[in-house]
Amino acid sequence: MRETVSKRAPTLNLPHIAAGEGIVAVVVVALVAYAALYASPYGLRVLTVAGVYALATIGFQIVFGLGGALSLAQGAFFGLGAYATGILGSQWGWTFAATFPVSLLVPLAVALLVGLPVLRLESHYFALATLGIAQVVHLLAVNSPGLTGGANGLPGVPGIVLFGWAVPRGLPLAAIVWSFVAIGGLIAWTLARGRWGRALTLVRDDPLAAGTLGLDVGRLRLTAFALSAVYGGAAGALAVHTQRVVSPEVLEFPVMVSILTIAVVGGRGRVAGAILGAVLLIHLPEWFRFLERSYLLVYGVALLAAIVLAPHGLTGLIDRLFPPRPKPLPIPVAPPVPQPATGPVLQIADLGKSFGGVRAVDGVSLVLDAGSITGLIGPNGSGKTTVINLVSGLERPDQGRILLSGQDITGSDISGWRPDRIARAGIARTFQAVSLPPGATVLDAVAAARLDRDRSIVEAEAHALHILGRLNAADLAPRPCADLPAALRRRVELARALARQPSVLLLDEPAAGLTDAEKADLATHLRAIAATGTALLVVEHDMGFLLPLAGHVLCLDQGRILYDGPPEGVRSDPTVVAAYLGEGAA
Amino acid sequence: MITLQLLINGVALGAAYALVALGFVLVLNATSAVNFAQGDLVMAGGLLAVALAPHIPLPGIALLPLTILLMAALGLILALAAYLPLRNRPPVGVFISTIATGIILQNGATILFGPEPRAAPPLFSGGTVSVGGLTVAEQSLAIIAVAAILIAAQQWVFARTQLGRRLRATAQDPEMARACGVPVTAMILVTFALGTAYAGAAGLLLANRYFVTPTAGGDLILKAYIAVTIGGWGSVPGAVVGALLIALFEVGVSSVLSYPVALGALYATLLVILVARPQGLFGEAARRRA
Repeated sequence: MRETVSKRAPTLNLPHIAAGEGIVAVVVVALVAYAALYASPYGLRVLTVAGVYALATIGFQIVFGLGGALSLAQGAFFGLGAYATGILGSQWGWTFAATFPVSLLVPLAVALLVGLPVLRLESHYFALATLGIAQVVHLLAVNSPGLTGGANGLPGVPGIVLFGWAVPRGLPLAAIVWSFVAIGGLIAWTLARGRWGRALTLVRDDPLAAGTLGLDVGRLRLTAFALSAVYGGAAGALAVHTQRVVSPEVLEFPVMVSILTIAVVGGRGRVAGAILGAVLLIHLPEWFRFLERSYLLVYGVALLAAIVLAPHGLTGLIDRLFPPRPKPLPIPVAPPVPQPATGPVLQIADLGKSFGGVRAVDGVSLVLDAGSITGLIGPNGSGKTTVINLVSGLERPDQGRILLSGQDITGSDISGWRPDRIARAGIARTFQAVSLPPGATVLDAVAAARLDRDRSIVEAEAHALHILGRLNAADLAPRPCADLPAALRRRVELARALARQPSVLLLDEPAAGLTDAEKADLATHLRAIAATGTALLVVEHDMGFLLPLAGHVLCLDQGRILYDGPPEGVRSDPTVVAAYLGEGAA
Repeated sequence: MITLQLLINGVALGAAYALVALGFVLVLNATSAVNFAQGDLVMAGGLLAVALAPHIPLPGIALLPLTILLMAALGLILALAAYLPLRNRPPVGVFISTIATGIILQNGATILFGPEPRAAPPLFSGGTVSVGGLTVAEQSLAIIAVAAILIAAQQWVFARTQLGRRLRATAQDPEMARACGVPVTAMILVTFALGTAYAGAAGLLLANRYFVTPTAGGDLILKAYIAVTIGGWGSVPGAVVGALLIALFEVGVSSVLSYPVALGALYATLLVILVARPQGLFGEAARRRA
């Protein structure tokens, strides 16, 4: 359908719609027709349950699909929402208008309470910690019969009452539940496409780089976890209103299994995937009656098959069958230029860092002036990269001070100078091992550097394209990062750092793996960047590249500064020669 | 006297948990993969023993070699189906594939055996023995002995044999091991077989006194994880010590209060450990090599 429209009217400027969303539209129309015209009361009930699971999975897509954190607590949030509505509705006589908000707030509070510490953990610790939360909540529900009715649960939960209208079972209830799915889906879809969703996917793909691009990784993950809990709670509340009973079943592992399977089979991170997956998997045991007792076994097989054979799920397959049109490039716009700095921008005094017994950096002091290029050389393991890591906040120094334009930005728990805050203060860096998000285009990757300051994705991309143009790399913009050769990856990473408009730019071996022509080209670009007032610190092994470029050179050995002076003096300095060639050669 | 009996019960439970944790940590070290199915594999081993028992009218100890062999084969299937196709993809893929394997085992077991708790035959007679006026269940002592032999066997293989050296090399640095001519993929398969076999042995040991239900895996994987966490992520002796500590805690608190309280306290402890000392207990967070 979309194909014919685009062929007939190529000049028509239709908003871009992915095929996945197009198919969802068809599915929605078909479901509405089915529900209104053909469905039996039982069929409507199954459809309602599918809606409940779609809503829970949309929330799960935010934390798992976009944020990349495998939470096994989504079932627990579902159950908490269910119990909040169940207890307040059946025991306290509260109505929907009061119970529903509480069912959102209880999981939200639990998520915020436990999320803050466990979200810092690596992915599998996080998965197991959230599984632990789920087991504790289940244990509490079964063993507090006074509050929860214990293993038998609580009967007599009232139905939904909206503005005085008691929603009857059947079509009206299905319509209400699916209205919640529509609202929740629209909110999640908007968030996923916006700056917040982009930032979250960068946190998923490369949390280290995300921090150095000014994104608060912990806060983004916590918000995603909290939001997923709200969706889980809403789904749980609606499930209880459908069943009119709440029992420990809502907290058992099959709920989590269903949500995880729906998300992976439907397509990770996609609202469309959650809806398609829920409709398909909840109906599967209905279509194949012999599956009734063994549907969870089938879910397990489907989950395994999907993750091995089709890791992007149904929506991924649809995208492959109907590739979405590449979106047109924006018109490049120069970002507003900050006030250029003058004089000493970065001052490092007596910086030190040990790893175990190794003194990696030992009393390093240096000053970077605005518009200057400083070279940092030294044998392998001399502490060059550690200096960059200390300045950009990825490591915490044991001693010393780092001042940026006179402000103390030394990273520590007390001062609160984490990598993202240091990045926002004006320091950008590249990595020795270039890492760009594999699924992103070059334009996406560079625009990610602007997410914390530009008002929209469109604006960020326009600025990013301008920066790419400055490095003669605008033609790379639509290409996927995964396809680029090493030299171009370095160029893109430089563009990404430059897009931060930093006052200090730290480059870790920017010329490694480049040809002589490419090195000459890079040197021209670096001089042009310095000419705008940015202070550059360049870690490099290639003296033929670095010495003509740098105005000042420091040589490190075993964490100490051996040489600090003009580039001309490096080659003749006896201590530097000794450090590189061994003591006897001096 | 009761304290001593509880202590023996605790050590017996801990010895079985140690086998679970050992299998978990061996696979973790060899592949960096967290095997979420480890708990369900224990359950599968227990139910396998339950299923074999009517056909082999001998004490449980006679079922042990067959259980270990069949479970090792299951471990190979697990590695081929759920690990090898995903080894070069982001780690979350293996989390999900092993969770899926767990779901398949759990629900397959429910269909085959029903949800009721089942008991495997005791290792020997199932009676009690008196040692200096102390009456001890023979099964407890047998569990301790069998687990100790299996753990010692693993230690001996890893320390003294060519296979063990290759397995250790694979665990330390797979790239380097491959460069030195170690067949890394084969070693990973062996590790999965070994880890699964130990889970199965633990299942057989646990399934007599503590019964086995198809849904038992969730608690067991958490306990293996807590044991490995307490003992130091990746440390083999640490996993064994951690498992013993957990079991003693569980038996101790259960005897004074109740089993659900013990379990709740254990999980709460896990969360507290994660909150208070994430870096200290797990070592440095993974950093990009620069």
